[in-house]
Amino acid sequence: MKKSILYTVLIIGAIVFAYPFVWMFFSTFKPDGEIGNIQLLPEIWTWENYQLVFDRIPIARGFLNSLIVTSMVTLSVTIFGSITGYAFSRLKWKGRDAMFSLSLLTMMIPFQITLIPTYILIVKFGLTDHLAGLIVPTMITAFSILLFRQSFLTIPQDLVDAARLDGCSELGILFRIILPLSKPVVVTVAILTFVANWNEVLWPLIVIRDQSLMTMPQMVALFAVGGGSDSSIGAQLASALLLALPVIIAYLIFQKHFIKSMASSGLKS
Amino acid sequence: MNCNNVNEGVNEREEGNKTITYWSSPNPQEFALAKQLVDEWNELGHEVKVKLQALPAGQSSEEVLLSAMVAGTTPDICSNIWPGITNDFIRAKGLLALDLFDDYDLVMGERVPEDILESVKAKDGHTYQIPWKTNPIMVQYNTKMFRDAGVTEFPKTYSGFLDAASKITKDNDGDGRIDQWMGYRDIRPIWWQRYYDYYTSYINASGGKTFFDKGELAIDVDASNKVFKFYQQIYEGGYFPQSTLQGNAFLYSRIAVEFTGPWNISFLEKNAPEDLEYDFAPLPVPDDYEGEIYTYGDHKNIAIFSNTKYPEESWEFVKFLISKEADYRLLEFASQIPIRKELLTDPDFAEFFKQNLSLARFARQAAFTRGVDSVRDFKEILDSVSRYYEKASVYGKMTPDEATHDMIEAIEILREWNK
Amino acid sequence: MKKLSQVIKPGFLLSMPYMAHLTLFFIYPVVFSLILVFHRWDVVTPMEFVGLKNFIRVFSDEVFMQSIINTGVFLVLHIPLQIMVALFFANLLNQKIIARGFFRTLYFLPVVVSGVVVTILFQQLFNYDTGLLNQFLYKLGLGQVPWLVSENWAMPSIAFMATWKNVGLYVILFMGGLQSIPTELYEAAELEGASSTQRFYYITLPMLNPTIVTVIVLSVIGGFSLFIEPYVMTGGGPMNSTLSAVLYIYNQAFNFGHMGYASTMGLFFAVIIFTVVKIQRKFVETEVY
Repeated sequence: MKKSILYTVLIIGAIVFAYPFVWMFFSTFKPDGEIGNIQLLPEIWTWENYQLVFDRIPIARGFLNSLIVTSMVTLSVTIFGSITGYAFSRLKWKGRDAMFSLSLLTMMIPFQITLIPTYILIVKFGLTDHLAGLIVPTMITAFSILLFRQSFLTIPQDLVDAARLDGCSELGILFRIILPLSKPVVVTVAILTFVANWNEVLWPLIVIRDQSLMTMPQMVALFAVGGGSDSSIGAQLASALLLALPVIIAYLIFQKHFIKSMASSGLKS
Repeated sequence: MNCNNVNEGVNEREEGNKTITYWSSPNPQEFALAKQLVDEWNELGHEVKVKLQALPAGQSSEEVLLSAMVAGTTPDICSNIWPGITNDFIRAKGLLALDLFDDYDLVMGERVPEDILESVKAKDGHTYQIPWKTNPIMVQYNTKMFRDAGVTEFPKTYSGFLDAASKITKDNDGDGRIDQWMGYRDIRPIWWQRYYDYYTSYINASGGKTFFDKGELAIDVDASNKVFKFYQQIYEGGYFPQSTLQGNAFLYSRIAVEFTGPWNISFLEKNAPEDLEYDFAPLPVPDDYEGEIYTYGDHKNIAIFSNTKYPEESWEFVKFLISKEADYRLLEFASQIPIRKELLTDPDFAEFFKQNLSLARFARQAAFTRGVDSVRDFKEILDSVSRYYEKASVYGKMTPDEATHDMIEAIEILREWNK
Repeated sequence: MKKLSQVIKPGFLLSMPYMAHLTLFFIYPVVFSLILVFHRWDVVTPMEFVGLKNFIRVFSDEVFMQSIINTGVFLVLHIPLQIMVALFFANLLNQKIIARGFFRTLYFLPVVVSGVVVTILFQQLFNYDTGLLNQFLYKLGLGQVPWLVSENWAMPSIAFMATWKNVGLYVILFMGGLQSIPTELYEAAELEGASSTQRFYYITLPMLNPTIVTVIVLSVIGGFSLFIEPYVMTGGGPMNSTLSAVLYIYNQAFNFGHMGYASTMGLFFAVIIFTVVKIQRKFVETEVY
């Protein structure tokens, strides 16, 4: 393909993927009446949309909630995933392979079956309208265990043996020897977990009713569907932009890691 | 240690401070009003103090209350109870029977109209909620847009409305696309949206009927047909846009009409541009209709939860909430209508209504409102209504008669399943 | 006193947190859901045994059937489109170009952003009267498209939006796949006079087969969970054309309080997903072209 056509097509692609975000950005500064206009830049620049958002919903609180929940989940998944992955890969014990197969099974059962009973369990524990209700069900995932196990299997046995001879405890081996050698998989698990959990909206919608405990995506989704925004398009777009911002910033900084993580996870499954 | 979401009020009680928790609507004006009343009450030197909390804002206050019930974190008193869910609460034995208080008859007799009092009685004959306020749905319209289209008086009938609509809906900037409409309704089949179109028009066209009569489904077929047809004609003519039009279309004079309640008055006062001229009128009725004009009144009631530690004191506070003084302030600060007898003829309120003509219109309408039936499946029923409304009226894929017929059948089927 | 780790194998000990979690959040829910399907429950009042009532209801529920079909329509529209577009761009990006990283970053951007953001954004773009797309189309003299207000266009619009959002991920996956194809194969083919189209069909596609399979599997599983897009944009309309299975189940459970019935539908749906994935595994993996 001729280079000029190649670049043209790529640029058209770039526009298709980027323009909607650009449009969204400028629209949030337009008064409602202008948003329908084709013209990209606002005639009148206004903060009123953002003002409405901050007036109506505690979006900063939502951001904080999301941050707390997602960080805790990511931390927990990484730690427990690596511990369990280690147990499944480098230690021999009765029932190990059966447990591993069971964990694979959990990845095949669609969440639609377990959704409601899990909700009821959370109700029984009194964790509805509680951030813990968002954290606990996803604190350990079979997927992370799988990734860690696969990675740990490639660690040379001599290293592990040497450490054992030195009197290292199992956890010590994991944290001092194996994990430092497995940085890529740790990064992958952390990023994948973080992104997936941050964007998760169905579960919070079910478990959290109290606005002050809602996650950011949940709050913005409700803002757009309910009447809180007074049907102001500008305000809805503003809230959406605010929601997208943290992730976009994190993405731009850690691009390479993001892309590598998601690509490798795809290959593994 | 108890891991439960324990109500803050309970902790305070354990400290020796007697309080009852009162949840009010998070609506800014209502909450400000509630704060005023609570502060006043607390200063009167009662032994039990009232602690005010805004109902946690969530997807809908009904869900929040139900969740609280499930988690055991209900307050003592709540004033944002939608009659539709009291059934769930009563079934779960969560509410206090108010008619057991000595002065119940006296207090209710002074304030609440007979027929409304009857309508809030539960199946077991007791009353678990007090009618507090109502927000009748009326038509808010842009007088200037009507004038410019040559319509001097707000139309009273369906044909008048449709006629005015054809004159008002037009293409203003000449680009070949309509950009000014008669009105707008959310066309998505979301159950509660129907309060602002089908349901309110149904009450209107049927002369004040709701869907049920003495616990049996009794939909007025003729009225339903007329309502479906009315909206069908609106969408056929393109008078309401067939899209999720957003932005404050009324404020920007993009639509001339909005079906709304008195709460919108304070919204308009705050946000309307200088030159916006508007007024309120009752909903248009079918051409052959005679009699009083009814509408949907979003009733909100007050209830006391059965796990309260201070029932007597809670009742005292509730009486305070529905006193004349409090009702007056409800009108004044929150622009909402208390369900009080003879509101318009009462000399204590006369001056106020002279100054606030818009609210007076709503107050007049308040006597002719109907709420929702206290039926367990009400949400699902409205969900059914939404499906047929969408098919027949918005998209014109069914005739009104077919829609009414199929809708009633669907409702009967779902009631069967839910028995 | 022996150390605990000498009595119980350390591997077992270390897996205990996971096993506890698994029991609570997988085994218990699966078992409970199998019980719940025979009951009716609204969470607020006690459970009531109803035997097979929920099953009978599922079989006569046209709306549920519709929701499953809708989900299927979504998948059928979305997946092939996604594969073609992703393959196309992956191919282009694989050539020698400058600023490859720039393009890759941009294409991947919609992937990391929340579905809520994309939905709100597209709801505006798709708006019949005021949306950008229709404004452009009208100005170009092509008339307006009833993106979200026609039962024929609504689900395709959602499928289009989902493709826009996810295609970047698959571009990356395909790029990885393309890069692992040994260039000798192409060189040999070129020497034998194969055209670029022939090279594509006989070398690229077969070699990419594992990646394509991965893409399909991931998309299918993701597609079955379609929820937030119809929830925000269309409420399931117009006329139930965008009502996804998960949305319908969600409404039944959490809006109307039919936990038992919703669980039954969940079970049915899960069985369908399971079957589709199994069939797909067999079918796609043996298909080479």
